[in-house]
Amino acid sequence: MTKKIAFWIFLLGTISSSVVFLAATWDTQRQVAVLSNADKLSDRVVAGKRAFQKYNCNDCHTILGFGAYYAPDLTRVFQRIGEEGIRFRIKDPEKAFANSWRKMPDLRVTDAETADMIEFFRWVTEINNNDWPPQDSRKRLSRGEQAMVASVGVTPGAAVFQSKGCMNCHSLHGTGGTFGPALDTVGRRLSVERIEHYVRDPKGVDPGAMMPPQKELTDRELEEVAKFLSSLK
Amino acid sequence: MEYRSQKIAYWYFAAALPLFALQILLGLYLAFSYTWTVPQSIVDAFSFATARAMHTNLLVLWMLLGFMGGTYYIVPEETKSEIYSEKLAWFQLIALLATGVAALVGFFFGWTQGRPLLEIPSPLDFVVVVGALIFLFNVAMTMIKANRWTAIQGTLLGGLVFLALLYLFGMPFYKNLVIDWYYWWWVIHLWVEGAWELVTAAIFAFILMKITGVERQVVEKWLYVEIGLFLFTGIAGTGHHYYWIGAPRYWLWIGGIFSALEPLPILLMLLDTMNHVKERKAKILNPLTWTYAVGCAIYHMIGAGVFGFLHTLPQINYYTHGSQVTVSHGHLAFFGAYALLNLMTFYYAMPKLKGIEVYDDSRGKYGFWVMSIAMMLMGLFFGVAGVLQSYVERAMGMGFMTAQSYMRLWMGAVFFVGLAFLGGLLTTVTDLLTIRPAKARV
Ligand code: HEC
Ligand code: HEM
Ligand code: HEM
Ligand SMILES: [Fe+2]
Repeated sequence: MTKKIAFWIFLLGTISSSVVFLAATWDTQRQVAVLSNADKLSDRVVAGKRAFQKYNCNDCHTILGFGAYYAPDLTRVFQRIGEEGIRFRIKDPEKAFANSWRKMPDLRVTDAETADMIEFFRWVTEINNNDWPPQDSRKRLSRGEQAMVASVGVTPGAAVFQSKGCMNCHSLHGTGGTFGPALDTVGRRLSVERIEHYVRDPKGVDPGAMMPPQKELTDRELEEVAKFLSSLK
Repeated sequence: MEYRSQKIAYWYFAAALPLFALQILLGLYLAFSYTWTVPQSIVDAFSFATARAMHTNLLVLWMLLGFMGGTYYIVPEETKSEIYSEKLAWFQLIALLATGVAALVGFFFGWTQGRPLLEIPSPLDFVVVVGALIFLFNVAMTMIKANRWTAIQGTLLGGLVFLALLYLFGMPFYKNLVIDWYYWWWVIHLWVEGAWELVTAAIFAFILMKITGVERQVVEKWLYVEIGLFLFTGIAGTGHHYYWIGAPRYWLWIGGIFSALEPLPILLMLLDTMNHVKERKAKILNPLTWTYAVGCAIYHMIGAGVFGFLHTLPQINYYTHGSQVTVSHGHLAFFGAYALLNLMTFYYAMPKLKGIEVYDDSRGKYGFWVMSIAMMLMGLFFGVAGVLQSYVERAMGMGFMTAQSYMRLWMGAVFFVGLAFLGGLLTTVTDLLTIRPAKARV
């Protein structure tokens, strides 16, 4: 091989790869609007993205799998913990992660910025990205969710547990908050009545309890969630 | 040293070294935060996020200083002329350092663009661009005036221009997160697997030619083949970052196929280096420089070629994407390809710039081996943590922090080998800054 041939290898290699790449870039630009639901990309969502960048959240958390790997991926966080769950953690991380061995800083995010970021996460959750990350795939529910789905037929308490903020502090099989104890096997320790009593008035059962009383639950909801929890053995 | 203006390179290298040391201190803070609990009050004041922005930006800053210094060293010898303007070279060094310091202080006070690796805020970005333009102008003018083109010069200039152009894609605010990441990778991937490889290949070819005495015709012929393959695989290979961002599905094919070929040019570079070393026409004056050259070629292959290949296919990347597996590869590749390349350049050029023909490498040897071994272990520990994470969090679907508690031991191990790395690095930095002539051999 002569130097001249080598030069032609260089030229052809570079040009052919660039052509493939630029053509695909052009087509991607065309398709992204649909794949990312660009029609729902409102000003609020954009404001949320700006806030997300302003506080450098991405240098602890990944989103779409990029960024730092120090904290949970936020691609599907809206699906995972919902609006209230997100708000609670951003507003008071010290409390939300009081029992965790890894802390999230209190960045003094304003309420408006938090609301915008929630809109941003709501939009990100819907991006059609070949179903990544696997742990949040709707096709492959996490173990915590499996436990709940398995119980939904038996008791609607599982849905109450997930949607009424219990998971901000408690976890099932590693999914959920860490401020309160994990409840994977709480049914071994506590009866239905005991759980009902505790949830309404934690300090009445244990004077040192740090859990706030759950006053918003209706009697029916309380009964269902207590039945669900007592079944976890 | 044959040309007076080469001297400027020394100051680029001398500025890069302490920044490298600072980068490692911050790396230790990161590994510490992974393993032990940092109290809330400290996290509020100086968080992981801030430290990570510093760790990675220092990395890029010192490496760019190294590349620029390397360029200022090589270009006079290649063009057989002085640098077009030494004043501009000085100005640009000071401007870049000042921007870097301003950025680091800014990060501490929360002044950031908030995009990983590209945290530098927009106003400072413009200063960076102006500095880069001055640099390119200075280098290009030197080459044009001398008009003695070689493949090494062409590759170097081409790589630098490509590098600067790509930076522009990282500057705008993108409303759509998908588009944002799409162009983010034009900077990050096309840098490390495109433009930087060109610059590296040129510097490597130059030093190899000088120390082995192999003919230019042979070195430059292989240089063309290497950069051709780098760009052929690397440009479309960008697709290996587009699997899960909301881009069309065909990227799984484009990215998978082209990036799977990316180890080829690296392998070629390794074989080529081995060949030149075997068929050397000059005798080995400074064994440590040779050790760095061979070490760099091998480590480049391991970190980028092997560890990159391991997670580049979509079937595997689905589980390892954005985990400690990525970090493992990131460290081994950056260290093997670019840290060792820069250190090789420093060991080649700094003694010469001080008028030392044969230098004393008794300390430097330790530096090389301690750093190389510590980094290899660190890569493996990150890797074990990453495999655990992929399995526990992604395959089993347990919570993020549950997976982290399984990985804790390995992240602690990273911290301790990180301390050893720091020891090796401090030895190297001291050695380079106070390099002495070798005592006459008996
Ligand atoms: C210094 C690092 C750091 C920064 C910066 C940071 N976080 Fe966090 N964040 C964490 C850690 C660590 C956790 C998980 C703690 C745990 O579960 O024990 C977390 C958890 C969360 C969670 C809960 C995730 C889940 O699935 O349970 C949300 C939501 C969140 N952070 C949002 C944000 C937002 C929004 C920002 C930016 C305003 C931000 N974080 C900045 C470290 C950080
Ligand atoms: C004592 C030595 C070091 C330690 C303990 C260390 C530790 C770390 C840690 C913990 C992270 C954060 C990963 C995350 O986002 O979760 C990180 C990021 C990074 N470090 Fe280091 N580091 C060290 C040295 C180096 C060196 C020598 C280099 C390059 C030559 C380097 C390059 C990087 C890069 C490129 C990233 C970003 C990684 C990514 O996005 O995947 N580090 N480092
Ligand atoms: C010297 C060359 C290289 C360097 C310095 C390098 C560095 C890096 C870094 C720092 C990242 C993490 C970026 C981030 O998300 O923050 C990364 C990701 C990646 N690299 Fe490389 N790389 C190199 C070459 C290669 C090669 C040759 C391959 C493939 C054969 C490869 C495959 C990958 C893949 C697949 C990812 C994505 C990981 C993920 O999905 O999280 N890299 N690289
Ligand atoms: Fe890449």
